[in-house]
Amino acid sequence: MSAQELLASARALLETFVAEYNTPEEDRLDIWIAATNLPHAVRALHNAGWGYLSAVTGLDLGPEAGQLEALYHFCNGPAVLTLRVRLGRATPSVPTLCTIIPSASFFERELSEMFGITVEGTPNTDHLYLPDDWPDGVYPLRKDFDPSTLHITG
Amino acid sequence: MKQEPQKVITKKGERFIIPIGPQHPALKEPGHFEFAVDGETVTDATVRLGYVHRGIEKGVESRNWVQNLYMLERICGICSHTHAMTYCLGVEKLAAVEVPERAQVIRLIVAELERIHSHMLWLGVAAHEAGFDTLFMYTWRDRETVMDLLELLSGNRVNYSANLLGGVKFDISPQQADKIRQGLAFLAERNTHYLDVVMNDMLLLGRIRGVGVMTRDQAEKLGAIGPTARASGVARDVRLDAPYGAYRMFKPKLILETAGDLEARFIVRLREIADSCRLINEALDNLPPGDLTVRMPRRIKEGETISRVEAPRGEAFYFIKSNGSDLPERIKVRTPTICNMGSVLALARGHQLADMPMILVGIDPCFSCNDRMITLRRPDGEAETWSWGQLCEYGIKAYQR
Repeated sequence: MSAQELLASARALLETFVAEYNTPEEDRLDIWIAATNLPHAVRALHNAGWGYLSAVTGLDLGPEAGQLEALYHFCNGPAVLTLRVRLGRATPSVPTLCTIIPSASFFERELSEMFGITVEGTPNTDHLYLPDDWPDGVYPLRKDFDPSTLHITG
Repeated sequence: MKQEPQKVITKKGERFIIPIGPQHPALKEPGHFEFAVDGETVTDATVRLGYVHRGIEKGVESRNWVQNLYMLERICGICSHTHAMTYCLGVEKLAAVEVPERAQVIRLIVAELERIHSHMLWLGVAAHEAGFDTLFMYTWRDRETVMDLLELLSGNRVNYSANLLGGVKFDISPQQADKIRQGLAFLAERNTHYLDVVMNDMLLLGRIRGVGVMTRDQAEKLGAIGPTARASGVARDVRLDAPYGAYRMFKPKLILETAGDLEARFIVRLREIADSCRLINEALDNLPPGDLTVRMPRRIKEGETISRVEAPRGEAFYFIKSNGSDLPERIKVRTPTICNMGSVLALARGHQLADMPMILVGIDPCFSCNDRMITLRRPDGEAETWSWGQLCEYGIKAYQR
């Protein structure tokens, strides 16, 4: 199947959840959905055997925009489907995908420690990459984090 | 550098873990696995990474597009070309720049030499962890051949730095092409021998046949990639699924095995070495004439792109966002080890503790991001911290009984 056909089939599976969509490149489809719909949309893809969860990207749209975005990239042959969830910067939260895809745990740990996005129901909330003594409430991949403020000793 | 497993002081209902490392003279790289065990059987597994986390994703946001090429190709020594190429392909896509054909083919040749180098390194490491040090010595001796070829082209054995935004830095002369052909002929012959050893050595087969089985369904659902997925019969190879650069002209063979065990992962990688030799020869014979670079703008057009490249360990995935300036807005790097580590740890449950080193090595984990230290948790609450070496030795001894 061509990328376009694959993306059309994904679109059909997710029809009820689509809030907004965009085709930035011919082999890609971006679909914005509500955070509460995320597990349902992923379940629909999973049950249909549509691709695999390849990566999760966090984006900070900046303090002025007041928003973060979580991007769930699913690859299937030549096609890349991205489920995008917009979140308020104050209390960002997404539901876990681990009940559907156990291997999503690493991505969720990274998302929460780097962007301060709470992942509801994720089995392991320990730091994956950051040190254990990393200060609470400091999220290094947010735009207003200034690396030069890190106190380096020894 | 041998050590007895350290007993951990435990109070009732409270657990203290005394870690060895993460910096430790006997461990090659830092990282931390935790296996919960019931007798000999693993009941749960988790991992803690980040001891060598360098904050590269943050670092790239304050460096310009050209500086970032040098930053990103240092993510990994083994896959330096993969990272630089994935980044270049993405940025070139955003800038709507078409790289000359000759440069694309040179990228392919270096990428396949890198694959051979990586798979041979892995074969040695896997043999060593299995206690088969003779095979380790031979493969690493022969791996020097491919490293010499990379040095011949680039001047470097590891960070070859072949890429530029918009092309490549060096050409391949007919004399160099002949040297590469000779080297590959030797490697292809040695590879046949290694395939024979892996498929017929009864001691090695005892450690790998039927061990660490991942079914096709599991590999698909958990998102395993690269040789790990292909050994479970999952036809996933970015070079074929979403051809990029010169892979539109030169097609690799899809190497599939169906058993899904460690033996299958050995066979897939060895057969891929043979196919990479074929692919490089084909590319050398059909090297198109032309320029090596094309002009790139200093500022990159606003937009988002995704680029995917088949690294030796599987798909490398970059998400690149530009805000139209000379600095990127965001670059997300997802390396193949993360996907495969997640899938293998999800399957560790129920396997024998003695098989854990081989199962982990079976995915070819990029050891620069993984720990060599293991915490054992027994149901009675006694926790012990082992080094990777101790776990391997435990595995080897368990099979000598």
